[in-house]
Amino acid sequence: MGDDYPSMFRSEPMSLVQLYIPTEVAHDTVTELGELGNVQFKDLNPNVNPFQRSFVGEIRRFEDMARKTRFFTSQIEKEKDPIPIRPLSDSAPLITVGPRAARTIDELDDVLGEHEARLVQMNESYKTLNERTKELTEARYVLRETAVFFDKAETQQTEVRSSFDDSSAPLLQYDDRETQHSSASQFELEFVAGTIERSHIPTLERVLWRLLRGNLYMNHTDIAEPFVDPVTSVETRKNVFIIFAHGEAILAKIRKVAESMGATLYPIDANADKRADSLREVTARLEDLQTVLYHTGLTRRNELVTIGENLSRWQDVVRKEKAIYETMNLFNYDVRRKTLVAEGWCPTRDLIVIQTALRRATEESGTNVVPILHELPTHKTPPTFVRTNKFTEGFQAIMDSYGIATYQEVNPGLFAIITFPFLFAVMFGDIGHGLIILFASLYMIANERKWARANLGEPYGRYIILLMGLFSLYTGLIYNDLFSRTLHIWRSGWDFVNMNGIEVGVPTGRVYPFGLDPAWRSADNGLVFANSYKMKMSVVLGVIHMTFALCLQLPNHIRFKRPLDIYTNFIPQMVFLQSIFGYLVVCILYKWSIDWTTRSTEPPSLLNMLIAMLLSPGRIDPTTQLYAGQGFVQVVLVLLAVVCVPWMLCAKPYFEWKEMKKIQGQGYVGLDHHDGLRHSTDEGLEIEEEGNGRAAIEQMEEEHEQHDFGDIVVHQVIHTIEFCLGCISHTASYLRLWALSLAHAQLSEVLWSMTLEGFLGMPGITGIIALALIGSLWFGATVFILCIMEGLSAFLHALRLHWVEANSKHYQGEGYPFMPLSFAKLDEKD
Amino acid sequence: MEGLFFNVNNGFLEGIVRGYKAGILTQNHYASLTQCETLEDLKTQLSATDYGNFLANEASLTTTIISDRATQLLVDQFNFLRSNAVEPLSKFLDYITYSYMIDNVVLLITGTLHERDTHELLERCHPLGVFESMPALCVATNVEELYQSVLVETPLAPYFRNCLSAADLDDLNIEIIRNTIYKAYLEDFYDFVGALGSPTSDVMRTILAFEADRRTINISINSFGTELTKEQRAKLFPAIGRLFPDGNNALAKADDIEQVRLVCENIPEYRSFFDNSPGGSQDLGELGIAAQLEDRFFRTEVRLNKEAFLQQFQYGVFYSYVKLKEQEIRNLTWIAECIAQDARDRIHDYIPIF
Repeated sequence: MGDDYPSMFRSEPMSLVQLYIPTEVAHDTVTELGELGNVQFKDLNPNVNPFQRSFVGEIRRFEDMARKTRFFTSQIEKEKDPIPIRPLSDSAPLITVGPRAARTIDELDDVLGEHEARLVQMNESYKTLNERTKELTEARYVLRETAVFFDKAETQQTEVRSSFDDSSAPLLQYDDRETQHSSASQFELEFVAGTIERSHIPTLERVLWRLLRGNLYMNHTDIAEPFVDPVTSVETRKNVFIIFAHGEAILAKIRKVAESMGATLYPIDANADKRADSLREVTARLEDLQTVLYHTGLTRRNELVTIGENLSRWQDVVRKEKAIYETMNLFNYDVRRKTLVAEGWCPTRDLIVIQTALRRATEESGTNVVPILHELPTHKTPPTFVRTNKFTEGFQAIMDSYGIATYQEVNPGLFAIITFPFLFAVMFGDIGHGLIILFASLYMIANERKWARANLGEPYGRYIILLMGLFSLYTGLIYNDLFSRTLHIWRSGWDFVNMNGIEVGVPTGRVYPFGLDPAWRSADNGLVFANSYKMKMSVVLGVIHMTFALCLQLPNHIRFKRPLDIYTNFIPQMVFLQSIFGYLVVCILYKWSIDWTTRSTEPPSLLNMLIAMLLSPGRIDPTTQLYAGQGFVQVVLVLLAVVCVPWMLCAKPYFEWKEMKKIQGQGYVGLDHHDGLRHSTDEGLEIEEEGNGRAAIEQMEEEHEQHDFGDIVVHQVIHTIEFCLGCISHTASYLRLWALSLAHAQLSEVLWSMTLEGFLGMPGITGIIALALIGSLWFGATVFILCIMEGLSAFLHALRLHWVEANSKHYQGEGYPFMPLSFAKLDEKD
Repeated sequence: MEGLFFNVNNGFLEGIVRGYKAGILTQNHYASLTQCETLEDLKTQLSATDYGNFLANEASLTTTIISDRATQLLVDQFNFLRSNAVEPLSKFLDYITYSYMIDNVVLLITGTLHERDTHELLERCHPLGVFESMPALCVATNVEELYQSVLVETPLAPYFRNCLSAADLDDLNIEIIRNTIYKAYLEDFYDFVGALGSPTSDVMRTILAFEADRRTINISINSFGTELTKEQRAKLFPAIGRLFPDGNNALAKADDIEQVRLVCENIPEYRSFFDNSPGGSQDLGELGIAAQLEDRFFRTEVRLNKEAFLQQFQYGVFYSYVKLKEQEIRNLTWIAECIAQDARDRIHDYIPIF
């Protein structure tokens, strides 16, 4: 709390504050605090149903307003030509605080209501007009299409008639035929015509066939253009059908079936002239209607444009107001119902800012009653709040997704800023690939503002990528890899001399100043060398990383005043880790530092040395001895490690037990004593917080003491086993650095040799074309396979090394996040 | 054995349906729902459950809207299951829809008989039982025509064959038709689940047997004092269920509720249906007993359907889920109706599920 600047090393110190807010300034106060965004309010009426709280009415009202704005949004979205929605940053804010607030809200409600009513009415008339247009269009189609049927039928009719004349009909029926002729000059069959949805045609046909036992003639054609519903913009496709049948009853039946299946029937006259007349009439009416429809559409569009200009600020206000009243629902009324009581967590550092905000709220609301803020002493664990900026946010998110740090615990997110991209780069080391992702991240960062305005994506990932790119450049320089080729910046330390037909490298006495000597690339044993180097390097890095993570326990123990843990956990763990793996690292470095060609002994295999050290301590094969006195040193180290196990296992439970005995010997009853004290001091606070829960807790405390000791023992046993086994498996786990880095290098080499290498020397114009084609293929594969796929895999492994290998050494991660009321976050959520 | 291959085809859907089932409202939800003062409160409460914001875009709330939207949710879920199912589960799911189809057919015929508007009738049909040529039902004037024109191509056709004799469509005949079809449907479904083999048939036969018994008892009670002859009545009883055959025979001859009660005494589980009717029958009256009986039938159905979820690797869960959800929608409608009509004293008469 003495820190002057906020740091990421620990989460912010928090205070539990109590606010007494006079009812009349409550709304404005919450508005100010919401703008500020650093108070997390506690629910003071957890037992009250959501709809029985004080401000349900207001919330409902804003929900209704939100529904209206959603209605507008959906209407605007459905419009075919996009309607501009003026962004929030451009529009003048609505003032919703101060004495005029209530009126502003009322006005807003009215305006929304008016717009909605107008829009609904316009939709309604637009819909009816559209409906009628649709009907007329359909009618026109029916008229046109049936004309085709009739024409066809007409020609057939003449054929029928001619054949009729030829046949030897009984003479008696001649009269009949005459009359028939006169009427049939037009048509003699009755029919039903109309339109129906295309999908229903087969069913209609089938049903009618069965119903009329086949006594019908049905014809139908498709209407080419789909009908679009203006409100829902659903397309329907329809068919024109005409059914010829005989008999009034049957026709009635057909009509009924067709209508019940959703068909629209149109009266069509059998007379061709009348049909032409009605077609003309329909076309004329259609034209009129379309003019009206166009104007209605225009007015509606204008209305929507007006709405679009204000929509985002309305949405903003509604969202904020709803959040405000939802927050106020968490508050409690005091006894006289004059003031609201609020409780919440806020960063101790921000208390002054909050005080200022409270005063500002009072001024704005035009009253002179200031909300009272005071800190409450508490033993509750505050939420964890780490102040981040757009750069650190991403790294913190990596750690938060593993677990929220316990309050005031050392925050691994701070160190992840460097270690995470570094470990990633160890696996991803290549100058070329590093440059690609570096430029990608630079491009994203350059467009940050533009995208933020357009609400595209989260901003923080790009800074992780930036650092990953930079570190990949660095490790790429060390590995001397540029798209699997080498850089010859300085003179190599090796010359190749032909001896007996074999090229052999001879040292020139120079040492390559930085990174891997490019001569290794062309050497036959280059891969063996790179493997050995990278494997040892990953063990060295792993042990350093774990040692560092282990050291982070120390500030925790000091901060939480647990000196016992330093002696019973930290020190034995450190000794255990260093005596085995720290020793291995020293051996690796020592082995590197020796010129084995000048030594009489063989270089030892360090893996075998480590196994032998544990299995047969003290015995060293003199031919592969690393240094004099190695046997004795190793025995001491193994003994140290062995001693650490019971030390970790027993020391803490023993001291805990002794402590307990001491307290009991003094006549206290263990934990009850502490709790009793606390209860009496925080009585007032706790009554509200815990309510009925407390009785149950007190009852449980009788048995608590026994459990406690058992818990400690079990916990310690598990912890010890986990740590000892973990040390071995985690060290092995760091070998993934080597494996992935190797895979990456090999993959990029394979890609190079399979594609580009063969085409580099090709002469002539074909060579250039082939190079361009293959080159783009190679580049595409490099970006997608090597940068994106391999990058993701390296990212994943780096993530795992942080979460499992490093975090298990110190991180408790039992906190809960700080979630303040914040309007800025509110926007993000939507 | 069934556990070995069940999941190949049905594991995904069983998982889905069990997930759906976890969203069924519990006693706690009902407790808070019954405290609501207005339908708006109900909406707020429901938005905290699996129903989510299914009412968020409704400007005004009525009981009908609530039940329609809730039914729509169920139908969507069912259609999801149906479109992801393969044989024989798909067939099983189709069987579930047949009962709704029967209801719809009967609704349409009755409606047409009473000269209601066809579109209004179509809107009232249960969406699970809609089939393509359904609207054409309204032109039929006799059973023969009904069958020949429309039903012959639906899955209900085989059930209809038995009742083609009934000549005219009047209220009694329609009721007879409904029960005959339903009897045929139940027996067919019973055979079908039997063919599916062990765990499914065990669970489903229990449920279907109860369904059959419920119909038998209902038919008996409802036929008292009507012109339905005893022989006709006997023909309507499904030939399955725990009352079959002795109980069915006795019920076919029964003349009053007391005799029905005696028949039910023989089945231990059914004894409770008529528990306090000897004492309370005077003040309840026949109608009261029937209402009470209905309530107890629903409770038993819910219990049986809940038990279906205790068995794994069987199709019963799909049937039970639909039935439980239907019960839940009935409960919601009841509660909403009580709130809307301000009959708070009866609001607790819903049937709790979990």
